[in-house]
Amino acid sequence: MARPMWNGSISFGLVNVPIKMFNSVRKKTLHFNQLRASDGCRIRLKKVCSSDGAEVENENIIRGYEVSPERYVTITEEELQVLNPKTTRSIDIEDFVSLEEIDPLYFEQSYYLVPDKGAAKAYSLLFAAMKKTNKIAIARIVMRSKQYLAAIRPAGRALSLSTMYFADEIISQDDLEALPEDIAPSERELAMAEQLISSLSAPFEPEKYKDEYREKMLDLIEKKAEGQAVTLQPAAPEGGKVIDLMAALEASLKAMKKEGAPETEKPARARRKKAGAQ
Amino acid sequence: MPSKKLTVDIQGTSLTLSNLEKVFYPHAGFTKGQVIDYYIRIAPALLPDLSNRPLTMKRYPDGATAKFFYQKQCPEHRPDWLQTAPVWSEHNDDHIDFCLANNLPSLVWAANLAALELHTSLSAANDVLCPTMLVFDLDPGPPASILECCQVALLLKAIFDQQHLQSFPKTSGSKGLQVYVPLNTPVTYDITKDCARAIAQLLEQQHPELVVSKMTKKLRTGKVFVDWSQNDDHKTTVCAYSLRAREQPTVSTPVSWPEVEQAFKNKNAQLLVFEAPQVITRFEQLGDLFAPVLTLKQELPPLK
Repeated sequence: MARPMWNGSISFGLVNVPIKMFNSVRKKTLHFNQLRASDGCRIRLKKVCSSDGAEVENENIIRGYEVSPERYVTITEEELQVLNPKTTRSIDIEDFVSLEEIDPLYFEQSYYLVPDKGAAKAYSLLFAAMKKTNKIAIARIVMRSKQYLAAIRPAGRALSLSTMYFADEIISQDDLEALPEDIAPSERELAMAEQLISSLSAPFEPEKYKDEYREKMLDLIEKKAEGQAVTLQPAAPEGGKVIDLMAALEASLKAMKKEGAPETEKPARARRKKAGAQ
Repeated sequence: MPSKKLTVDIQGTSLTLSNLEKVFYPHAGFTKGQVIDYYIRIAPALLPDLSNRPLTMKRYPDGATAKFFYQKQCPEHRPDWLQTAPVWSEHNDDHIDFCLANNLPSLVWAANLAALELHTSLSAANDVLCPTMLVFDLDPGPPASILECCQVALLLKAIFDQQHLQSFPKTSGSKGLQVYVPLNTPVTYDITKDCARAIAQLLEQQHPELVVSKMTKKLRTGKVFVDWSQNDDHKTTVCAYSLRAREQPTVSTPVSWPEVEQAFKNKNAQLLVFEAPQVITRFEQLGDLFAPVLTLKQELPPLK
């Protein structure tokens, strides 16, 4: 099993449920590397000064906040440390709400929560109670020195935790300009649209939908890898050749024999030399 | 497909080698397998230089361009057949057990630990206070290059020729050159160091535009620093035939004096840059140019 990405405990009221948190999603987005067109050499990014172009080492990089164009306030590591939320190992439940009340817009990333040692009973109790009341928990959690709002709910056989955006992070719809206002569709049009919807209605089966782009791309990559069109990392004249260490050993041992200097004699000879010198 | 691990039998010793396909010199695509292959093939020339000398391994577990560390204390997990030698370290107020690469399995074992660079003491492990050679490490301060080092090396040669002492040049495999004077007779570091310092200072006096004898980096610009201070029982120098952790798999390569003259005359620094495969070919064709450094018995003249 993968390593937990966080562990701590859910606390609500007087009850503490120690848990371990695991990723619930493994992204399968394809990633490409950047290569030089002429020979396929890997491209590496360097951090450089934007005015003199000199490379800047990580230890010489500090944080600056742009307060007005080209004017920065710098923030030191110490100042960050002071302001960062205290690392707590608890998920503090603040409210229980109905899932339907939360627009999916609010959900950011999802994780699974698994009971830690000895917590199976408390975990099951929380799970069952939430299922029965049909309520989900709104909580706060600190991960990687950032505080998150989170929703905890039963999902399948496990509790899941989804980090959520704060309300002021959701862009207000008042900022959208082209939204129509008060255009009432005619009864007839509405009935037709409703009929269309019901004819396409089906249970949600996520397995039905595939990432066709990824499948096609993987196909292409596989075909190219089998054929000759693979871009190999450039090798030096000697590079990339198959190394035959056995042949090297044979040649080397033969050469040593020819020189009549079996390697084990060396130290002995050196010792004799010293003895003679004294 | 190449396997991740390979077990080889070397003269009855079984060794497991790992990550052979890992690229150790990214600019050259030179792999760990090729590093080990080089060390095996050069072993007949290299082992005599390593034998019975405290070995400092400069290890590059993620290749020549990544982080390295010096290992003097032979690692605990060494195979039981590997020979070691305790050497008193004043700095640590304790003995350091150095590895001794006395045979082919030991060398291959070190190479498999990503010890790209092998640095050795100027004395043998059983007589650590008696240097068997004198060394001058010629380090150019940019814009000076190995060509200025050639000039200084030839000046050094002239001094030793006058004293009827043979001297032997090798490239550092990095930017400079080293000149060795074989001794192989009873001597102390006090004597070799004083002698080396006197010669460096003499050269500096005679050629102030070309030579500095002081370590200060600032003084070095456009000149060659004649480092005499490596004649010390605490110091190590890169061993002949050791790879260097540079962009290309260059080697600290023994060369002949005519080669040094040639490079200097033609102003062609490339004539003194050798990569691992070339060094194998040179060894096959020219033999071990450095062999006399281990055997030739010479004595330094008393200082005037």
